[in-house]
Amino acid sequence: MRILDEREKLLEIRNLKTYFYTEEGVLKAVDGVDLLLHSGETLGLVGESGCGKSVTSMSIMRLLPSPPGKIVDGKILFKGRDLAQLSQKEMRKLRGNDISMIFQEPMTSLNPVFTIGNQISEAILLHKDVTKREARRQSIEMLKKVGIPSPEKRIDDYPHQLSGGMRQRAMIALALSCDPQLLIADEPTTALDVTIQAQILELMNDLKKSYNMSIMLITHDLGVVAETCDTVAVMYAGKIVEYTDAKGLFGNPSHPYTWGLMNSIPRLDQNIEKLHTIAGVVPNPLDFPEGCKYNTRCPIADDKCLQQEAELQEIRKGHKVRCWHYERLEQLKKVH
Amino acid sequence: MAVESNALLRVNNLKKYFPIKAGLFRKTVAQVKAVDDISFYINEGETLGLVGESGCGKSTTGATILQLEKATAGEVIFQGKDVLSFSKKEIRGMRRDMQIIFQDPYASLNPRMTVTEIVGEPLDIHKLVRNKQEKKERVKQLLGSVGLSTEHMHRYPHEFSGGQRQRIGIARALAVEPKLIIADEPVSALDVSIQAQVINLLQELQQEYGLTYLFIAHDLSVVKHISDRVAVMYLGKIVEMTSKVDIYDNPLHPYTQSLLSAIPIPDPTINKERIVLEGDVPSPINPPSGCRFHPRCPHVMEICRGEDPEFKVYGDNHYVACHFLDR
Repeated sequence: MRILDEREKLLEIRNLKTYFYTEEGVLKAVDGVDLLLHSGETLGLVGESGCGKSVTSMSIMRLLPSPPGKIVDGKILFKGRDLAQLSQKEMRKLRGNDISMIFQEPMTSLNPVFTIGNQISEAILLHKDVTKREARRQSIEMLKKVGIPSPEKRIDDYPHQLSGGMRQRAMIALALSCDPQLLIADEPTTALDVTIQAQILELMNDLKKSYNMSIMLITHDLGVVAETCDTVAVMYAGKIVEYTDAKGLFGNPSHPYTWGLMNSIPRLDQNIEKLHTIAGVVPNPLDFPEGCKYNTRCPIADDKCLQQEAELQEIRKGHKVRCWHYERLEQLKKVH
Repeated sequence: MAVESNALLRVNNLKKYFPIKAGLFRKTVAQVKAVDDISFYINEGETLGLVGESGCGKSTTGATILQLEKATAGEVIFQGKDVLSFSKKEIRGMRRDMQIIFQDPYASLNPRMTVTEIVGEPLDIHKLVRNKQEKKERVKQLLGSVGLSTEHMHRYPHEFSGGQRQRIGIARALAVEPKLIIADEPVSALDVSIQAQVINLLQELQQEYGLTYLFIAHDLSVVKHISDRVAVMYLGKIVEMTSKVDIYDNPLHPYTQSLLSAIPIPDPTINKERIVLEGDVPSPINPPSGCRFHPRCPHVMEICRGEDPEFKVYGDNHYVACHFLDR
């Protein structure tokens, strides 16, 4: 971790709180999140639906529907500039230029009535001082880089004429057209088949290296995390519960939630009779329990957990966990 | 195919083509060969996993067996009888023994019906209960067996989480005491922690009621976990079928090999060799000649372009359709 720390801090999030003010009450979607991303690094943000991982990314991009969503506290420092304080006009200059985003479902994030060439050129013309002809040339170049065959022809296709995998490639070409330093990828391969997923992940890794770009990868798939991420933050109910490098997380999961998640997925390389399950369901965000938010499902929770929530503390070098009883988990691991 | 004496379901040379109609007179101009000549069997009490990527025809296979879609050709022999020749009335009777669980727990439950009505409907249709009291008792018992409680009986689907809705769908399928359940992507819409709960429930129910499953899914890790045998589909054909141990330890078809290698393993210390396939799955409207996998196959030979490989047995109950193995 020390070697990493000497690298340039690209994105630093401090105590981010994003709340939604609804008729039923205040929904604390993101409640005090700290993250650090160095340049050239991939950070994985993992969790189940409703844990706040997408709201975190939307807060960085300042794409929250407002109202009801609001960043109520915290700093989002991108190269030292606080994105939370920027005006929408200033944000527009950054979006698609320094920070880009790709989404889960490329069909709903590409405009169906414009050709893909049109959409990529639009981004280039907006952020770079080039002619239309040059923008088109660069668009073809981008499509070639993401591995779309015969890009000179494909550039005039509409999104519906492309297959799912090709659409996601076009989406990546669009996101990378202005050489962003940070790419936020929100479940980029979830809607794709495994063989296509393998192609897209390989493409993202190659592009990351050749552009020295940083990636924030939001996913629920621990397999994808293990293959692509340098550091990983596990989120549960709006908070980070475990934060460390990928080897540390998979080698020694120290929060009962992370450990439970890893045991509840069937694995190709192992044969087990019965899957481990996490009891119960994710609590309603309008009605989180007192104390630790995981206490309703945790196998090792006690009275302390019902009353007070633990801080995210460093339990060994570079490994942070939000749990009072991470040591007790070691005993539980032995039983299983 | 080898004849298995205790096969509950046997599918022989099943085909399902969807016509594409165009022009003023709606002439059939082409056909989508969704399922193109597949054969397999499922023994009683066994789980057969059917895997493949989107558009390979795995869901159509399930729907055709249940006759939710009319088969183009072939035989579906269930308990010794060819169900494709059944009359409408016989089909309805057959569905007492054969049920389905759908992928999307949000779309497959009627939002205007309470849980009691949803789970009780098949009991009424097949006249399995005599009066309201009996129905209520049976629904209670069914909900109990899938891990829901009586307080849920009068609620509507929107009041439940995804995992609970899937439990309601399972209770509905169990209501008629079926022998075979076709589960079409039953856990793919669920979160990981909930997915494990539903998988365990399906396994417990199988033991308790001696159920036979056709488990259709795209996730090979889930399929391998729950199945006894696995069949891999590609573009309307089954390319490989064997036990779950062999499919992982000794995959013979190049497609199965690349599919297995494409699945990310949640362990960063494992550095495995990955076979990344070129290109996309071709369209089933105009599938490639010969072996359908040949345009993407790393071992393609001349014969693969012209001749369709036969689905043959290689070793103990290990069926593969590939020319490369005969070279």
